[in-house]
Amino acid sequence: MMYPEPTNIWESIEYSSLGIGIAESLWAFPMIESLHVMALVTVFGTVLIMDLRLIGLASTNVPVSTMSSDTLKWTWIGFVIAAITGTLLFISKASTYMVNPYFLTKMGLMAAAGLNMLIFHFLTYKSVADWDSSAALPKGAKMAGILSIVFWLIIVFCGRAIGFTLGIYY
Amino acid sequence: MLDLLFNITDWLRTTFLLDFAFWITETPLSLFMVENFWNVPLAQVVHIVSIAAAFASLLMLTLRVHGKAGMSLPVSDVASRYMPWIWWGLLGIVISGLLMITAEPIRNMVNSVFWIKMGILVVTVLITLGFQRSVRGKALAGGAAYVPSGSTKATGLLLVVLWLLIMLAGRWIAYVPV
Repeated sequence: MMYPEPTNIWESIEYSSLGIGIAESLWAFPMIESLHVMALVTVFGTVLIMDLRLIGLASTNVPVSTMSSDTLKWTWIGFVIAAITGTLLFISKASTYMVNPYFLTKMGLMAAAGLNMLIFHFLTYKSVADWDSSAALPKGAKMAGILSIVFWLIIVFCGRAIGFTLGIYY
Repeated sequence: MLDLLFNITDWLRTTFLLDFAFWITETPLSLFMVENFWNVPLAQVVHIVSIAAAFASLLMLTLRVHGKAGMSLPVSDVASRYMPWIWWGLLGIVISGLLMITAEPIRNMVNSVFWIKMGILVVTVLITLGFQRSVRGKALAGGAAYVPSGSTKATGLLLVVLWLLIMLAGRWIAYVPV
């Protein structure tokens, strides 16, 4: 099959041998996407458990630091797999994704979720010794939990919306 | 494998499911689901979020059974925290799943992978009931001295694998030709 000459970096990525290989394969895209789903539910599910603790809605009998070390490892494992599989999916349709507003919103919200996590970890969490075992946490911790749930919910929505709007945007 | 899936789908096409699926497409709920562009994606979001809640709960409970997380609480307490989330998650999965089937009954019901998924789901629910008896009932009766048996540990791992298979089948429903 012949592909047109790339006119920008995204088309160059899409028409790379890896991109074409994934796009032309009958099983590669669905299989990578399946792994992406398994990874992202692990991310969202473990993040949700931690967030509900921060908000004070569940596991209030578990110290925040314990909850964090129990869940964070799995959040990261899931995130790394989701990022690798997501990149592979992106490569196979790079130029289509780069004009899709839901994809761009999703990337922006992932950055926001990351920033929210960094602020919590490096600022709010500094005083964790004072509230580790409390049921009700400081406003900053609660806020981090609420923002995280909201961000990740919209990220999941955007992810699904991408699949329904491919080819609509040019 | 592919031939087998095709043959099963071919056979499904000869059963009452085909007429039933066509009948569903005429129902008001099915029409409602397809007439707004966002209804199906939103049902899928609820589906994914419910899976996340149930799967991560199962994961944390299984890790506790294996002594790898949540060690500050006894198994029965951890089970009380996470088992309800598995069942409520399943309810969200079933409701959103029924809406998705209603929206696209032919693609789902005349589809070998869909029925394989339903089979694994039923088995998973039955095994979860047994798992719950161990981590709740037996753990509570055993008190602080309770140590999960090898079979309870294995059952937890098996459930995690079954959920992953359900997700795999779920995604492939959309890709096997019907």
